[in-house]
Amino acid sequence: MTNINGKTYAMTAITPMKSWKTPILRVFFFLLGRIKPLQAKLVNLSFIHFARWVVVKRRGFPRVSDAQPEENLHYDYLLFFSNFNGTWNQYIDAFADVLADGLDLVWRWSEKFPRSRPVSAFKRYIALVQFDTDYYYTAYPRATTNDVKAAHRVCAALEDLGKSGRDMSPADFNRAYLQFVIRVQKDLGATGVGPIGT
Amino acid sequence: MAKLNAADIQGFAMRGYTFPVARFVFLEIVDAPSGQALLRRVLDQVTTAERWDVKPDSTLNIAFTYQGLVRLGLPDATLLSFPVEFVQGMKARAEVLEDTGVSAPEKWEPAWRTGGVHGWVGIYAESSEVLQRRCKILDDLLAETGGAQVLHTQDASLLSDGGGKYCAKEHFGYTDGFGNPDFDGADRKSQPGQGKLTADGQWAPLATGEFLLGYADEAGELPVAPVPHLLAKNGTFMVYRKLHQNVATFREYLDEHGSKYAGGKEKLAAKFVGRWPDGTPLELSPERPDPSLVNDPARNTKFTYGSDPEGTRCPIGSHIRRAHPRDAFGFNGQLVNRRRIMRRGLPYGRYAQPGEPVTDAEEHGVIFMVLNASIFRQFEFVQQQWIQYGNDSHQGTDRDLLLGKHDHGGRFMIQGDTDPANPPYMCTGLRNFVELRGGEYFFMPSLTALALIATDAVDPR
Amino acid sequence: MANQNGSIYGLTILSPIIDDPKADISHDCAIREYLACLPRDSRSPFAVLSSTHLARLVVMDDVIFVGTPAKEEHLQSKYLVFESNLDGDLDTYLTRMATETRDMVDAVWGHCYGYPGTQNVQAFIAYMKKCQIDTTFFFADVNNQTVRSTLRALKVQASVAEFIGSHQGKSPEQLLAGFRAFYGNVENMAEPVPGHPQEPGTHESIPLQKTMAARHG
Repeated sequence: MTNINGKTYAMTAITPMKSWKTPILRVFFFLLGRIKPLQAKLVNLSFIHFARWVVVKRRGFPRVSDAQPEENLHYDYLLFFSNFNGTWNQYIDAFADVLADGLDLVWRWSEKFPRSRPVSAFKRYIALVQFDTDYYYTAYPRATTNDVKAAHRVCAALEDLGKSGRDMSPADFNRAYLQFVIRVQKDLGATGVGPIGT
Repeated sequence: MAKLNAADIQGFAMRGYTFPVARFVFLEIVDAPSGQALLRRVLDQVTTAERWDVKPDSTLNIAFTYQGLVRLGLPDATLLSFPVEFVQGMKARAEVLEDTGVSAPEKWEPAWRTGGVHGWVGIYAESSEVLQRRCKILDDLLAETGGAQVLHTQDASLLSDGGGKYCAKEHFGYTDGFGNPDFDGADRKSQPGQGKLTADGQWAPLATGEFLLGYADEAGELPVAPVPHLLAKNGTFMVYRKLHQNVATFREYLDEHGSKYAGGKEKLAAKFVGRWPDGTPLELSPERPDPSLVNDPARNTKFTYGSDPEGTRCPIGSHIRRAHPRDAFGFNGQLVNRRRIMRRGLPYGRYAQPGEPVTDAEEHGVIFMVLNASIFRQFEFVQQQWIQYGNDSHQGTDRDLLLGKHDHGGRFMIQGDTDPANPPYMCTGLRNFVELRGGEYFFMPSLTALALIATDAVDPR
Repeated sequence: MANQNGSIYGLTILSPIIDDPKADISHDCAIREYLACLPRDSRSPFAVLSSTHLARLVVMDDVIFVGTPAKEEHLQSKYLVFESNLDGDLDTYLTRMATETRDMVDAVWGHCYGYPGTQNVQAFIAYMKKCQIDTTFFFADVNNQTVRSTLRALKVQASVAEFIGSHQGKSPEQLLAGFRAFYGNVENMAEPVPGHPQEPGTHESIPLQKTMAARHG
């Protein structure tokens, strides 16, 4: 399944928007970028490595040579790219459960978007506008974004211990080591192969 | 609050029976006409969800696999409208569920390996004598109508506490049966902690549609269900799994690590699950079991994990925290509400009292049954993502200690603190404590639906 | 700058694919066939292009008609969509593409209008920038770590877990000695390889037969 590499799923979707609605969407994104609490939910869901929205205006499709025919489009297009952990169903369920309002604010400007709840209609819409990936690469296929963050925390803790513990007595080190283990004890999950469809 | 038509819902779907013995009879339906004739006769026997003025001495319920529905002659268009995972059956879903290695279908006991199960009849009774009587009634109906053959049967019963009475323990020594979900219209005493969390930290019942078809679910819509509507309403899906328990291996493991873990063996056992063996939740009583707490339904499942984010009271990877995360993923538990499963279960086999010699080969384990509106979204999800995997709880690919597949060793981290009786401790070299011996996916129709099937009156759109 | 989030750059490129009815195999099919056989693990050209965190290539045949009352319309060309999340700046990345992964670049972009080849790096960069679309909103969960530092951290994490497991119950002296050795090994760890080789059977891409149409998913 080329949409998945390791534990990450590549979702690509394209939706049409009436041109006059595009600036409204841009304003929303501007606010999202500036008002951190709006992003908090996204961060707390913690299953997206990277995601982006790209507006391609109707005259914005690249034209690079005369041999290439000119585009003649009515709509602007909203491209969506997500790199997430978990199954397709899980991903959409989670958004519909906790971020329905935010999703609606992004996609309500796209034609024929049903609301994100109830979720079944939303899933049908996404399936309609989703492209399958022809090639997907990840530098760390066995790591989810949770694993990446945990790994960096462990690294930082280890470095601190390594520096401070260098010259300690065994007794002192024993105590420092216990503090170290307590510090990293939630971040030691293995990074093996994930379940099917994940 | 929806007032459910209890007369139309099978009793097994609504509440757990408190009978001590049961037999599960697995049938192969002969053909549509005689199968329907059998069903017409069995209808009178089926226990509904109506309240009992006088408790009967036994109950009987019935459910069908996809192949069973095919054999009963349901129209093709109806059959095609059933969810994919039910159509495929549990054996075909082995990769999804990670029923591989020792739990692979090739390793299942012969009856389940050959498959071909069409129907499940669950008979519960207050004693073995009563059980025999009720089973005889079923046998007589089978003989009279020639509608089905018995492929095999499975007996199960509560374990004995060693003093001649029944207890609620399972073979590893844990008291079981807490935390079944509470839903709208369930019409039984609900306990705080069973339902879903509200915005102000209270507990409310879950939407009926999470457990019964034809009602609104937590996503605010009717769950995906077969057509016609009348066939699906008041019905549900059931997962049946025969889980063999390697009691000797488990006890050895607990002994080995119990002597190394500074909190002691009983506390270690508690950390595996998230409840002390007597059922006291670690979250509420991290130092010791507390009988008064366990015996108080208003308290024994009323807790959240919000004040224990480090897992120092109840480890993050412990069994109950994995299977029912409550508020552990944030968002006031909203990510969990559509992943709840209703469990029914009974142990099977002789209970080896603590200290008694026991081997892994002995026939004992638990008959594990789950009821939910969507096998895919509920049971399979919990099994695949929360039991056999740990990413949602930030535990990487670590698996549940009890039920997880640990072919290559495996780790379970017990988070701790500076209290010498509660240190961080890593359980390494996990073994397969539980093995799957067989099972299947079933559809448990309402009484109306049973009548529709029995009279060949199912009309798809 | 909307293409940047912390230290991560979000590159989005739409390259129009040549439409030649006289070709034996249409250009979009040729791209798909090539991509179907391209390794996705540590042998991937993107592993060579080691500042790539995650990247995808999608052949976009057309826009989607979502149903009346929306209007039906069509693209005049198919587009190759390239989405990449990378460390460092764009010019460096594109230069490395042209010089270190030229086979892949030629095989893929060779089917697109206006592709100048990789011999002239500046021309290549100009061409890619002409096809670049600015990101409107870019989310990055971890936006301050390079590929290299993340790969290293993952390895360290695994080693630390193993160390903790194997040193439980040791005396303070044993623990300290063990740790010193362990820490030394970590500091001298070999450079981890991006896109770890996958074990057989896990999410391998399935090569398409030459005669099959390349629509898959």
